[in-house]
Amino acid sequence: METDSTIVVELPPVQENTPTFLESLVVELPPVQENTPTFLESLKIILMRFHFLSFLSIALVLTFWHFISVYKIFGGTFLPTPWAIVQEIWRLMHQELIGKNILEHTWASLHRVFIGWAIGCAIAIPLGIFMALNDFARAIVKPVFDIFKPMPPISWISLAILWFGLGEESKVFIIVIGSFVPCLINSFNSLRLVDPALYDAARMLGANRRQEIMEVAFFGILPATFAGLQISLSLAWSCVLAAELVGGRSGIGFLIILGMNQYKPAIIVAGMVVIALTAWLITFGMEHIEKLVCPWRRDIKV
Amino acid sequence: MKKKLLTRKRLLQLISALSIVAFFAVWQIIVDFEIVPNELLATPLQVWKLLIVKLYNPNPDGALLTTHIWVSVQEALLGYLLSLAIGIPLGLLMGWYYVIEEMARPLFEVIRPIPGVAWIPLTIFWFGIGISGKIFIIWLSGVVPCVINSFVGVRMTNPTLIQMARTYGGSNWDIFRKICIPSALPMVFGALQIALACCWTSLVAAELVAADNGLGFLITMGRRFVRPDMIELGMVMVGLTGFIVGLIIDRIEKKLLAGIRR
Repeated sequence: METDSTIVVELPPVQENTPTFLESLVVELPPVQENTPTFLESLKIILMRFHFLSFLSIALVLTFWHFISVYKIFGGTFLPTPWAIVQEIWRLMHQELIGKNILEHTWASLHRVFIGWAIGCAIAIPLGIFMALNDFARAIVKPVFDIFKPMPPISWISLAILWFGLGEESKVFIIVIGSFVPCLINSFNSLRLVDPALYDAARMLGANRRQEIMEVAFFGILPATFAGLQISLSLAWSCVLAAELVGGRSGIGFLIILGMNQYKPAIIVAGMVVIALTAWLITFGMEHIEKLVCPWRRDIKV
Repeated sequence: MKKKLLTRKRLLQLISALSIVAFFAVWQIIVDFEIVPNELLATPLQVWKLLIVKLYNPNPDGALLTTHIWVSVQEALLGYLLSLAIGIPLGLLMGWYYVIEEMARPLFEVIRPIPGVAWIPLTIFWFGIGISGKIFIIWLSGVVPCVINSFVGVRMTNPTLIQMARTYGGSNWDIFRKICIPSALPMVFGALQIALACCWTSLVAAELVAADNGLGFLITMGRRFVRPDMIELGMVMVGLTGFIVGLIIDRIEKKLLAGIRR
């Protein structure tokens, strides 16, 4: 009687399939193959590995590019072939253009970027932190800053040239302005991004005010501040190009405008390749420094 | 109980207002007392006067202020909409389909680090100084944040949801359409404002180098004629118009997508 009234539920056995080492290697593969893979399927797997498709797409684009410029599909000689651009870069590395080869021009631009960026950040970071800490400072600075914030740094070029002429100062000025804005915003917001639980934890462990600032807040604001530095550096790089396009006697932006004036698209594209490489190196370098400076920062990398 | 007349919040607001007034006053005074010569910096009053004059007098740069604004806004919006139309679907597809990601990624990685400004000389070769070249530059700078944000949005989809859909027999396309896209939407909306800011910046750059009207052209002309009031008017208008366009986009976004947004 008793056994009839109670309902016995039989749980299915818990399936434990923790992957072995070998299995964990193939986990990323698309659909599980039930049979031994056919030739086509194994080909597909090979294609998916080693970024084969990426190489394929680059090769396709380069081929298209080559044929477009060889057969002048869009008319005219506005697009040099990829090989011509490699040659052009090689030529510009050995031959001087307005007293500098292409590497020296790049260095001239980078030099300005670093000076302007260092000045901009040196002002913006302390100011941002001070504004975050002090209500009165925020009330004074923020409205004026909000007037300037929506103006693109590039729109300052004309005024900068009027004030400082075509020399170094005007370009550095633009970079200072360009790197100032994102840096200030980030360091202003950085204090608020610190997890309040961290303060509580520190306080619970008996930290005094000084330790809270030095050991919690300081490290808490590092990631956001560093992100600001990163953004402002890449913004500074595009600002310097704009400034050199408008007026200058050296720099990579000047090089491409020279290519335009001399009607040589090869110089322009060569300059653009160098710009892309430099920008990529800057990002790469900053990411590595970031990993060294604040290794606890985690976010999604694109 | 008597209400406190000057609370801390009121005091801070007062200080903010005073700070703006002081800013303009100092600006006016340093020029009036010739601490800074008038050829280098125009006073706020001069800028205001020029603003009124430019509303009915096309001289000396050949167009009314409203024309400049309209041309700039038109170019910026066209480029912006194009970059949304191409960047967002591309980013979403790149986030979900392996083949598309592998094919598009190297090209995107090559184009991404080149600032829109650097494209200007080449674009002038290809398109001349007309509107199409500017739209191309604006499109290029706007498309990057669109792709990145929608890509990240799809990648950040909660894997549990995808697994659940798979368990219920959803096809790849179904999962993409019904789970990945809705969950990516907040990131995509984030891209709207970022892309607008990028577009607006590169618009000014494009017009600084080559144009025949537009706000950037107004700034360039101010430099040519050594008229700081014209430069400053241009800058203020660029800032103001960008701000207003941003507000409008924000408003539209909130109206249209009120139901979807979390």
